[in-house]
Amino acid sequence: MDDIKVNQNPKLGSMDRPNSYIGRSLPRENAKKHLEGGGQFVDDLVLPRMLHVAFLRSPFAHAEMKSINVEVAKTSPGVFDVYTAKEIDEYCKPWVGTLGHLGEMRSPEQTPLAEKIVRWQGEPIAVVIANNRAQAEDALEVIEVDWEEKDAQVDMETALDDNAVVIHPELGNNLFWTRTVNQGDVNQAFKASHAVVETTLDFARHTGVTLESRGIVADWNKAEGKITIYHNGQAPHMMQHIIAKHLEVNEGLVRIVSRDVGGSFGIKVHVYPDEMAAAAISKKLGRPIKFIADRLESFTTDIHARCHKISGKLGVDKKGKILAMEINDLSGIGPFSMYPRTSAIETNQVLNLSGAPYIIPNYKAVGTVVFQNKTPMCQYRAVGHPIAVAITEALVDKAATKIGINLHEIRKKNFIPDNAYPNKTPSGVPLEDLSHQASMDKLLNMMNIDDIEKQKESNLAKGVLTGYGVIAMCEVTNPSPLFYGVGGAHISSQDGASIRLEGSGAIHLSSSITEQGQGTEAIMKQIAADQLGVSMDSVRVTLGDTDATPYGGGTWASRGAGIGGEAVLKAARTLKENILDIAAAIMQTDKNSLDVENNTVIRKNGGEGITLQQLAETVYYRGHELPKGTNPELLATASFLIEGIPFVFTNSAMGCKISIDQDTGIVKIDKFWAVEDCGTQINPKLVEEQIKGGVIQGIGGALFEECVYDDQGNMQNATMADYLVPMAYEMPDIIVDHVTTNSGRSIIGAKGAGEAGTGGAPAVIMNAINNALNQLGKEVVSQPITPEKILKALGKI
Amino acid sequence: MKAPDFSYFEAQNIEDAIKYKSEDDEAIILAGGQSLLPALNMRLSSPSCLIDISKINNLNEIKVEGDFINIGALATHSDVMNNDLIHERLPCLVDILKMVAHAAIRNKGTHGGSIAYGDPAAELPAFAVAMNAEIILNGLAGQRIVDAKDFYLGLFETDLKSDEILTAIRYPLLGHNQHLIFDEVCRRHGDYAMAGLMARVELEQSQIKNLDLVYFATGDKPNIAQNTAKLVINDGYDYERLKKSLASEIDFAGDLNSSSEMKLHLATILINKILNKLER
Repeated sequence: MDDIKVNQNPKLGSMDRPNSYIGRSLPRENAKKHLEGGGQFVDDLVLPRMLHVAFLRSPFAHAEMKSINVEVAKTSPGVFDVYTAKEIDEYCKPWVGTLGHLGEMRSPEQTPLAEKIVRWQGEPIAVVIANNRAQAEDALEVIEVDWEEKDAQVDMETALDDNAVVIHPELGNNLFWTRTVNQGDVNQAFKASHAVVETTLDFARHTGVTLESRGIVADWNKAEGKITIYHNGQAPHMMQHIIAKHLEVNEGLVRIVSRDVGGSFGIKVHVYPDEMAAAAISKKLGRPIKFIADRLESFTTDIHARCHKISGKLGVDKKGKILAMEINDLSGIGPFSMYPRTSAIETNQVLNLSGAPYIIPNYKAVGTVVFQNKTPMCQYRAVGHPIAVAITEALVDKAATKIGINLHEIRKKNFIPDNAYPNKTPSGVPLEDLSHQASMDKLLNMMNIDDIEKQKESNLAKGVLTGYGVIAMCEVTNPSPLFYGVGGAHISSQDGASIRLEGSGAIHLSSSITEQGQGTEAIMKQIAADQLGVSMDSVRVTLGDTDATPYGGGTWASRGAGIGGEAVLKAARTLKENILDIAAAIMQTDKNSLDVENNTVIRKNGGEGITLQQLAETVYYRGHELPKGTNPELLATASFLIEGIPFVFTNSAMGCKISIDQDTGIVKIDKFWAVEDCGTQINPKLVEEQIKGGVIQGIGGALFEECVYDDQGNMQNATMADYLVPMAYEMPDIIVDHVTTNSGRSIIGAKGAGEAGTGGAPAVIMNAINNALNQLGKEVVSQPITPEKILKALGKI
Repeated sequence: MKAPDFSYFEAQNIEDAIKYKSEDDEAIILAGGQSLLPALNMRLSSPSCLIDISKINNLNEIKVEGDFINIGALATHSDVMNNDLIHERLPCLVDILKMVAHAAIRNKGTHGGSIAYGDPAAELPAFAVAMNAEIILNGLAGQRIVDAKDFYLGLFETDLKSDEILTAIRYPLLGHNQHLIFDEVCRRHGDYAMAGLMARVELEQSQIKNLDLVYFATGDKPNIAQNTAKLVINDGYDYERLKKSLASEIDFAGDLNSSSEMKLHLATILINKILNKLER
């Protein structure tokens, strides 16, 4: 299992030493726990006196509650009580999903339960508290509501029309946020262009579909004035602040525990009304309250994402050099901006990231974000990337075709050269340590495009449409305080690690980074063991508990390895220094003649060493044996944050080959290739899993996933049978390789790797499909690219 | 997503199950539960009682009786797929069942359950109709045998009476010149099809003598395309002509994954796919 070794970072030392774990594909220990069913998820938790809640949710996208009668429900068997907005509001202050750093955002106050007007199908309006969930659901059926349905603003494209339904009358119209980026002079540059190409792309809403649905157990202890929240979220310290602020509890007395979490994808990093209501009820009643979203609730209340319509224009000179790019993006986010990260970020990233791999001297981008009566939309894995990459790469393909050069040639002609960093995106965001040229070269070697071109021709003769695509992209990872903190959000961009040697010789590590199934715990352990010189099995890790870990941001935006990992590295190095100082004192020798290998302090020139257990026993139990003045500190803590730039970018090149059945419109992905440059890979196998899993989620967006709504704003496919996620049969061979450019921002040199697959796959698949369809002069411009859309494009139906 | 309260009766024999069912109109038979239990949890169905027949002995037998192969109602899809007799005498059914959902579902879902539920998008009802299968129903008045093509009346509506339980399906064995050929088009493997076709073909000197075309996932029940089959026998495959004929004899009903227009197109090209398979 550990035969893949790729540590190419001189700052980390050679791989030929004992305990060199960074860069090795070691199996992760917690995978075994989960295979054995030994994980502990929120729903596994049973506390004494615990009650369960179920929510009555709006059946309409837009309606007014004329009256609500919960009296019969209160008498339903097993029911403790039934609350509507006013009972909850007493215990939970409202929130507003706006931030200050991105220009004016307008979103009204939101409360856990809607009081009078409901604005999306699934918005909670009443909550039953009962002995178990089934009894709570029984009672929901006898709550009487007198509804007056209102016209719904479902379509984002008409949301700003004069006759649109204004969802929040106090705002005057449905505009949430807008931003314009203008670099250079696009109009002038388009005039000077040899060729100008245009396209407009549509992206359907989809959602994260985590294996474990959202859940919370809130436990208010009145005597201590303390609330403990067991929560399957991604950012415990952010939630600590949120709970303290809105439930009016001393922040120091809010404990958030997020241990095993079954997938998150950005879905679980937001504040949800039902979870806030559950916490408020616990405070009101002084009893533990459990809420677990069922799958239907997940589909209608977990945040959705994407939902963009974007038009773009690209101008090139005679040789294919890009002179100008212009995009105009519209997105619909449901009736509220999500709290606390806001629903502006996806569009903001579309504007930031479009054209990012290329030198584009003139760039204009306009983003418009509107309200609509659908489930709220917010950040989901690869925020904004699929839209930015798809519009850029579609335009680049069109330009190549128009002036008659190869798809890869036009890209190579326009890349920011690998030796020209630091640099900037066309929108002006700083870029460092990227390798588009080397990554594309590697990709082309893997793909053999000449061979694919030949297959294309021979397959066409047989009636099969074959096509391929190649794309390049930048991936946002390791955000700095300039992402959220600067705008006023209490979201830490710093992460901490604390590591100690215990009396038994064991190492305990705690980190503010969290684990949701991606293997965070494993890489933290690898870094600690590698840097300390101890075996993997001597390190124990604690994550996801605000009472037990250092303060920090948690896991989102691919920040675990690059930020949290660096903190672990620094803490481990400090602890090692302390260990060597003590050992030098005990062994009465020069510290520089000592090292730690295999849990033992060794003399580099031979001779007997002492084990870490012996050392720890001396310090902890027989401290009198130490020379006077020896520092007995076997605990070290370190922090890390990215300074000065908004993000540490990663880059990726991807290719795929597809074939289309002209009779059925079914697209088969024959093969998929990805080259990722995420700097140091701490565990290459886990990086590969991130890329492959991401690609598969991207295949979902490209070909399958869509939250289907009818004209009245009712979601039509809120089940796992009807909402199509790719499954084993839909997963192609995915070949992953790497270019390694270490980040200069840290010793460890790691950048994030979690976004690229999801961000790039939709673009390369769409390009490959259009490469195939172009043989017949056809194209598709709307994702997911369903068989019906293909057949329509082909004129078959 | 918790089921409303219901009572539960574990039947030890078919007579008890029939008796219980005849006494309670609101009771529902539980076999593999692969359609029923999700419906209960989503509160789309609220029966008074579940009569669990899964413990009744011998209701999962697969045996040859004269010119028929008889599949007991409780045989799971996996039982059928792994049965030697089926591999030998009705191998096409193995290929069809591979397209029914996924292994975990096939391990619980029953042959009789799928036939009795009558989901218009499911493979087995159309298969039974195409095969001219006989459906065995046991009720208070004894046993009744209904031709599959008369069994399906409308959307999830069958000829099953309230005191009856489907106990077995009898498939006539295919002769030397008879073939059951099947194909379907799905968004994902294991999904309900956008359109599917079961074709029972009788050859005479390599020419099609008789042809039955039975579609699934096209309308409210297995759709028989009699006139279109005649056109195929007489004139072979002609896309436009067959499409027109199908449009006139099937009321295609669109769903989330395919419009009625899409289904009509797929139904037409499926004939070509079947004919190509026949040539191979």
